[in-house]
Amino acid sequence: MTARGTPSRFLQSVLQNGVGRYVCQLKRVSLIFSKNGQSSLGVREFIEDGVVDFAKKNPGTVVYVSPESCRIPKIVAEYLNGNVKTELITNKTSQQIAELVTKMANQSGLDIIRIRKPFHTDNPSIQGQWHPFTNRPPSTKPVGPQAK
Amino acid sequence: MATGLNRGHGMLRVCRRLCSPLQPAVTKQTRCAVPHITRCQREKSTVPKGYVPETSLSRPPWPELPPYDKETEEQKHQAVVEKVNGLLERREHGRLFAVVHFASRQWKVTSEDLIQIENHIEAECGDRIQLEKVLLVGGENFTLIGKPLLRHDLVRVEATVVEKTESWPMAHMVFWKRHRFQKKRTIVQPQTLLRINSIEVSPTLV
Repeated sequence: MTARGTPSRFLQSVLQNGVGRYVCQLKRVSLIFSKNGQSSLGVREFIEDGVVDFAKKNPGTVVYVSPESCRIPKIVAEYLNGNVKTELITNKTSQQIAELVTKMANQSGLDIIRIRKPFHTDNPSIQGQWHPFTNRPPSTKPVGPQAK
Repeated sequence: MATGLNRGHGMLRVCRRLCSPLQPAVTKQTRCAVPHITRCQREKSTVPKGYVPETSLSRPPWPELPPYDKETEEQKHQAVVEKVNGLLERREHGRLFAVVHFASRQWKVTSEDLIQIENHIEAECGDRIQLEKVLLVGGENFTLIGKPLLRHDLVRVEATVVEKTESWPMAHMVFWKRHRFQKKRTIVQPQTLLRINSIEVSPTLV
């Protein structure tokens, strides 16, 4: 059960997001549901209750509501970096769907795989890398055990 | 074994009996000789009682410092503080870095860094937060160290919440061999991504 063989990436963000201002990375959400199917009952409730609130809260995302004759309702989310994520929402309540949609809006669309380090920096050292002679008085003599 | 031991014991006894007529002469000689030698040594040695011979371990390896003088030390301290204050006032400190305690970890950050935290925080995405526990701030030529924290009016580290996601599904497997026992659990941990926006130091130290 080691994680070595799994795909991994380093910590990153899309196009230096947050350095100037924050841009919500979710570009487009489409709710695909059936008008009379039992499994999309929760989606219909969510469309009555929460879709308008969500769209008002996130002015940067486009929300499509598309009724189709389908058995499995789903959410298709498209991100600014071109990734598309699909989530199935069969038999989910409106609250669960609202949570799912807000979670998708908070994500950046990068692959959810193992992240090697929890930090990323472009300037790894400011005072220079440490070596055994940092903060030592300069001397021309060979280095040995210190005198009395 | 027992017989062997008994026999050995008997042999010893025989030996002692054989040696016994010789012993008194030897002991007489030694009785005279041993106290004489010890007396000579005592007279010669002028070593004090708590003496430890000089070895590589008898003194610490660093050079001995001159005795502490309060005035000179204060003068040196003042000189250093003035120098750092001058750097800060003229804005010549260059890029700053800080060690920040956040989410029960210590992070070494500079501006435009990304750090990832293994939980969600209350701020929404896009909110700007201030990291308050600053342990250390450094520029190119100086470092300010808190005892343990630096004051709020001295340093200001700001960050933006960039992303609130979930970790990849981590498999937690427990397996006992030969016991028909196994447990498998998939753990998904909420995560938060922070972007460090700025590290600012107030222009003068106290």
